[in-house]
Amino acid sequence: MNWNKSHSRLPLVGCLLAGTAILSSPVLAQSGMNTTSLQHEVVLDDLENPWDMAFLDDGTMLFTEKCKGLSIRMPDGAINALYGVGETEGYGSNGADLFCEGQAGMMGVAFDPEFANNRRIYVYSTSNMSDPHTNRLMRFTLAEDFTSVADRTDIVDDVPYKMAASDHPFGGPGAHNGGRVRFGPDGALYLTTGDNHNGEVPQSPTMMGSKVIRIDTDGNAHPENAPPEGFDKRTYTYGHRNVQGIAFHPKTGAAITAEHGPWHSDEITILRNGGNAGWDPRPNMAGRGDCPDNYCGYSPNQEEGMNRYERAAYMPMTDFDTYPDAMPPIWNNNGWSQGTSSAAFLEGEQWGDWNGAMVVGIMGIGFGGTPIGQRIDVIQFNDENTDVEDVTEMTLPMEPGRFRSVVMGPDGSLYTAIDEGTIYKLTPGS
Amino acid sequence: MIRNFVLSASLVLCSSAVWAGSYADASDAPDTAMPAHEVDIEAAKKIFQKSCRGCHGNKAQGAASYPKINDLEPEYMADKLERYRAGEKFGPNSILMIQQAKKLSDEDIANLSVYVATAFDK
Repeated sequence: MNWNKSHSRLPLVGCLLAGTAILSSPVLAQSGMNTTSLQHEVVLDDLENPWDMAFLDDGTMLFTEKCKGLSIRMPDGAINALYGVGETEGYGSNGADLFCEGQAGMMGVAFDPEFANNRRIYVYSTSNMSDPHTNRLMRFTLAEDFTSVADRTDIVDDVPYKMAASDHPFGGPGAHNGGRVRFGPDGALYLTTGDNHNGEVPQSPTMMGSKVIRIDTDGNAHPENAPPEGFDKRTYTYGHRNVQGIAFHPKTGAAITAEHGPWHSDEITILRNGGNAGWDPRPNMAGRGDCPDNYCGYSPNQEEGMNRYERAAYMPMTDFDTYPDAMPPIWNNNGWSQGTSSAAFLEGEQWGDWNGAMVVGIMGIGFGGTPIGQRIDVIQFNDENTDVEDVTEMTLPMEPGRFRSVVMGPDGSLYTAIDEGTIYKLTPGS
Repeated sequence: MIRNFVLSASLVLCSSAVWAGSYADASDAPDTAMPAHEVDIEAAKKIFQKSCRGCHGNKAQGAASYPKINDLEPEYMADKLERYRAGEKFGPNSILMIQQAKKLSDEDIANLSVYVATAFDK
């Protein structure tokens, strides 16, 4: 069979990798052309779908688990479970309204840039407080001893949630919530959202899915947001599919998204204030007819694999024919969709030629002939920082996984969480 | 019978043999719903790496919205794969599973069902 041939070396590689995992050696490294030697360390294991992390300068790390809740790892390794999803036991307090379903649950997390003064943190989660349910961005005050949170304030309470299953791949409730929470160099709070498998959401001026939201820490629109007339003023960009990655270029400060494509065309896009990302999966437009449950996001031929470029022509990730001024992606993963999820910029001389490069975590899919592609890509920009110049797959010192999150740590290492339950620390050097 | 096979599969994995010992060889194996079958662990591993781990996780432990499958009995998993292969829809990810399963032969399903149930620490 073809897969036997194409993966003929996997058993040996698998055995070697399995051996490294079992030994948990911190001194493994690989080197070669365009590859930084890396060491790896397991920071936390046996987690339940870790989704995101955030750091203080001393290494204190907030982390979320999708169906469990928000916890914090102290510099000495102690874990304090802060805020649980629903009735999850073992947390200092719980959000009774929070729940997980499918892709939804507790997702992005961030420290306030002024945390030392205000003790504020932010976390994004699915909630049943409203009906229909929504995704909410919550603000908390973290206690001085880091053992509890208080003063929950929902600064965004209206990001739509997919309530019912639909006739689509991945069609269960809870699909496409976006979920990353980051502060930009402008001091503003950015929240990324998704389309819920709802064709109306991406281009909607008022439904806050499929947006990059830019707000202050009370949830108010940034005064310089420039969406089209009639749009919710919290909108920084719109017309996205399901943004799970956002990072800010260290030199230009530009917000840059990494986005998961619809069986084709994962994208990296340099955002333009008020810009349209060009995703519009409505039926009966742009040359399309009816689509299952009024969402063309997986059309045509959503139950079979087919050529990715034919898919892209029918249902483009960025539809320049309909929206000529759409923001152009600077990378499209060679036309593949492989689960692009998160983004960060490497910082520090220890990263050598990769200092200042973007890293993108890719979870892997493997449908209809698409290579699974679980990896971390290193994206190097051109001198003008306006386009991609080179892409290198990071040679990993451990077995790959579903790379949900990549975050730079204050120690100069890259931290990555995989859905399988591990948070790794990747450090340059052999 | 399953216990006997688990031991057999573990030994084979550690020795990197291409062909696992078969639970058909177990002289004291009682009758079961699964047909006697020599299990090709390496073939199953290749299918798992290519078609399963991307969603279900590197140890089939479940990940994201995809369920844990390393705790399933081989007979149960084989039945589900056969139903998906036949195009039956059940559960939110049926479209994905039908696509994956329709490529599998009876032998593939038998191999994969035992491999996933026995290859990983749980």
